Amino acid sequence: MRRYETIVIADPDLSEDQRGPLFGRMTEIIDQEGGFLIQTDEWGGRKLAYEIKGKPRGYYVRLEYCGTGPVVDELERFYRIDDRVLKFMTIVLEKDADVDAVKARMAEAEAAETQAAEEAEREAAEETVAEPAGEPEVAKETAAEPAGEPEVAEETATEPAGEPEVAEETATEPAGEPEVAPASSETETDTETAPPSETAETKKEV
Amino acid sequence: MAFRPRKKRRRIFHRRKVCRFCADSSLPIDYKEPRTLGYFTTERGKIIPRRISGTCAKHQRQLNTAIKQARTIALLPYVGSVEV
Repeated sequence: MRRYETIVIADPDLSEDQRGPLFGRMTEIIDQEGGFLIQTDEWGGRKLAYEIKGKPRGYYVRLEYCGTGPVVDELERFYRIDDRVLKFMTIVLEKDADVDAVKARMAEAEAAETQAAEEAEREAAEETVAEPAGEPEVAKETAAEPAGEPEVAEETATEPAGEPEVAEETATEPAGEPEVAPASSETETDTETAPPSETAETKKEV
Repeated sequence: MAFRPRKKRRRIFHRRKVCRFCADSSLPIDYKEPRTLGYFTTERGKIIPRRISGTCAKHQRQLNTAIKQARTIALLPYVGSVEV
């Protein structure tokens, strides 16, 4: 058995439904002739370096399979007849391919994949468990944000006069803290103590 | 006057060209990667000769087949450039 790789450029104007049977036929042929399909790899639509049959784009598919000469003959005969295939190229990857070894490797890869999938699931499950813990923090933050606003609201009454002064200092600071800006050490204590009462207020408002 | 040719010879600076594929063994020569192959073709799509690119004989052979294979399946142009 040899190991082959065939690149097929299919018509890009085919719809998904039309493409299915075409690729189905290819895999059928490989099976019929006693070949063993290892992998199909769809690259998708791609610009061609030159036009083929007047088309600037093509839909690339790569087939990797083990088989003997007749498989390739039959496949290529099919490609030549079929109008949906713009161009194809077959390359020998390995002259003495051991099908059993390939199958074993594929089985291993699959096992690894399923393992990885399981792990991913587990991780996802852990994350979902961890998420609820994260949410309250966010809730606090959002609660703290509104806490800043009321302050601003109080100020806005006096703002027209106050703003120009504060503007210089607030350049690097969020909009919520203009009042407190003059004494920065106080602001921290203020914001720390302020939230509980104010969050309560905001909740009531909401 | 007899000195001049010698002087000229000295002035010519020969940079030792290194085969890229020998320097970096992880760099694959694969017809499915038109971008790497693109470095070894001219703007017109011709294969750059070994004496210019500095590729070693072994890798130039592989490059040749890879570029030609890429051309047959329209990943690289026979003539002209492609905007990838």
